Amino acid sequence: MRHGLIQWRENELSLADVKARQVRLQQAIAAAGLDGVLIYTNHVRSAGVTWVSGFTPYWSDGLVLVLREGLPIFLTALSKRVGEWVKSVAPTFEVAHSPFPGKLAGERLAKVGAKRLGVVELDRMPGGVVDEILSVLPVELSDATELFTNVRGQADRAELDLVRHTDNIAREAFKAGDVTSKFAGDFTGPVERTVRLAGAEECYVAVAPDLSRDRRFIRTGKDALSRTFAVRLSIAYNGVWVRRIETFSAVSEIAARLSSVGAELDRASPALPADGSVSAFYLPDGAKLIDWHLEAPHGTRPLKVVADAEMPLAAPVPYGILTTAFTLDGETIVASRPIGLGGGSIREAAE
Amino acid sequence: MIGEIRKKRLLEAMLEAGLDGLVLYGNAWQNDYLRYAADFGILEGEGLAVVTRDGDVTLYLDDELEGERAAVECPEVKTVVADDLIGTVSGVIARLGNSRIAAGPKRHLPYGLAAQRGDLRFEDATALVDRLLMVKSAGELNAVRSAARLADEGYAVFRNAAAVGKKDYELIAEIESFFRNEGVDDNFMIIGVGGPEVRGMAPPLGKILKPGDLVTTELTPCVNGYYVQICRTLVIGEPNEAQRKVFGIYNDALEAGLAVVKPGVTAADIARAENDIFRAHGLGEYVTSEYTRVRGHGLGLFPDTKPHILEDVNTVIEEGMSLIVHPNTYNPEIGYFVHGDSLIVRADGPEILTTTPRELFSVGARRVAA
Repeated sequence: MRHGLIQWRENELSLADVKARQVRLQQAIAAAGLDGVLIYTNHVRSAGVTWVSGFTPYWSDGLVLVLREGLPIFLTALSKRVGEWVKSVAPTFEVAHSPFPGKLAGERLAKVGAKRLGVVELDRMPGGVVDEILSVLPVELSDATELFTNVRGQADRAELDLVRHTDNIAREAFKAGDVTSKFAGDFTGPVERTVRLAGAEECYVAVAPDLSRDRRFIRTGKDALSRTFAVRLSIAYNGVWVRRIETFSAVSEIAARLSSVGAELDRASPALPADGSVSAFYLPDGAKLIDWHLEAPHGTRPLKVVADAEMPLAAPVPYGILTTAFTLDGETIVASRPIGLGGGSIREAAE
Repeated sequence: MIGEIRKKRLLEAMLEAGLDGLVLYGNAWQNDYLRYAADFGILEGEGLAVVTRDGDVTLYLDDELEGERAAVECPEVKTVVADDLIGTVSGVIARLGNSRIAAGPKRHLPYGLAAQRGDLRFEDATALVDRLLMVKSAGELNAVRSAARLADEGYAVFRNAAAVGKKDYELIAEIESFFRNEGVDDNFMIIGVGGPEVRGMAPPLGKILKPGDLVTTELTPCVNGYYVQICRTLVIGEPNEAQRKVFGIYNDALEAGLAVVKPGVTAADIARAENDIFRAHGLGEYVTSEYTRVRGHGLGLFPDTKPHILEDVNTVIEEGMSLIVHPNTYNPEIGYFVHGDSLIVRADGPEILTTTPRELFSVGARRVAA
């Protein structure tokens, strides 16, 4: 489940921002000859519904049905009492309750005489939901993932501003960590607390406790921290997800170098295009690239690897999180930063 | 170790049911089936575990970062990362041919998996796995006991952090930070702040604690995959007469429910014992679905598992189950109120796990947030 603040903040993501997204999706639905698009959500696969409504479930799951016209409908098995909370944090859709949300979707589709329904990630839709829809209406189902990805791939100002804000939360939170901590939990506890006090709706922390031996990140509080270690913060704030990885050392000489590298990444990264082009990646002088990958919102996934050394980027993304691993002066460094946030072609295209 | 015992029980159940394979789905919300087989606490993306009758377990994940973590955190399980999760697992199942394969949980099983199975169809594994999830082994019950200790400690942190002027999400930040430091993987937690206008608990809304508020919460820490819950209510400042009186009713209802728990009774018997107390006080309306969801529920690898404690649920309570009994509901005088304790069902009755005193806690109105 989510563990933090979920609130409607008109100054950060306005009704008009969300309405503009809904209209773009409705135009694409009409252009594709569909009667509507159905998007599934739970707190793991929240990104599609969050983008189209600003809502993220705290627990449980639901569906959003977007028809060619009108307000989207959030269909949920959650109680009407919980529905009041849902409405208070997402005044962007109608909330409809049923122990069988799929059946209710079928009824709503029948009401408008729907014949063709697109489903984002049809293969992943819970089978019970599909059965419920088809039990009411023999509608033709098709996969609408590509349609949704194309609409979703256009960035908007509200989202990019939220990405910047969320990354700032991460950057500030890392300052609460004590690099001389003996165990991972001693470092990460104050960091996570700081993230949550800043009003994040979620924070996952993972650690690579000894970078000289292993670059893989695990959830651990008990492992001893080595000479150089890395911490990954995955933060959700107002529906936007950001990852930030920093490498740390208690050795002051190394720490100074890491700090300088981090500052340079902060300066260079936001303007990098999130287009998966290796040539654009910033690396400090003398650094040798070991590995990289690019993550971005994709379908119902808040962040998913969309490009790496072997896989080119297949479709435009609204923003990206670039993770690089490299060696510099004999030390292994891992870093993640948001990219595609400003000055780049995607932003200009969106505006 | 627990993972090995679970796997053995799963294979025995498959053998008894004459199954050749099992396909179990999971994500961070509904992780119990997946974790039972593969012992991995998935956080991002989705996973499928394929179990064959010869004891081979393979964990398929669609998230690279999670695949990396699984390789380190549960090296004994074979892990495969597949962007096309459905296609990959469908291919594996196809190679098993025309054998008897069950899948679950039925409601969450991805549509594409069933569609690609076509006419061969999956049998429904839901009942088979639900039974294993409900009636636990000795090792699992010990894990549940460990989680209970942290539920109590977590509530003490919550109580100590509550102060006038503090925001609800700041209170939760303290708990989450404490739990993470203690190795708690997850925590199901909702909260209510206020008076008669509060009709239920919800995620934090940014409410600021003030004198006179009731602060309700259910904390549900998860240790090694097992959840235990505690429900308590505290008052900011001295409780008033109405709050004290209402607390007495809820405490009587909790004790009445607990008193009934033993092997052989039904979930309905427990719910009825709780609800009769409310009815005796003329509050019968408030034990209906308009005001409350359940009067308790099972606990284990999912924070809200079967059996649901309701007057129309006739699941027989068995030794080895872990439950919470909580007569949580709205009260028209003072607002939503919660009170509940977790337990293990033993042959001679309930072993109460949570040890936080059953009292209406109060926090000094002069305790102000820094």
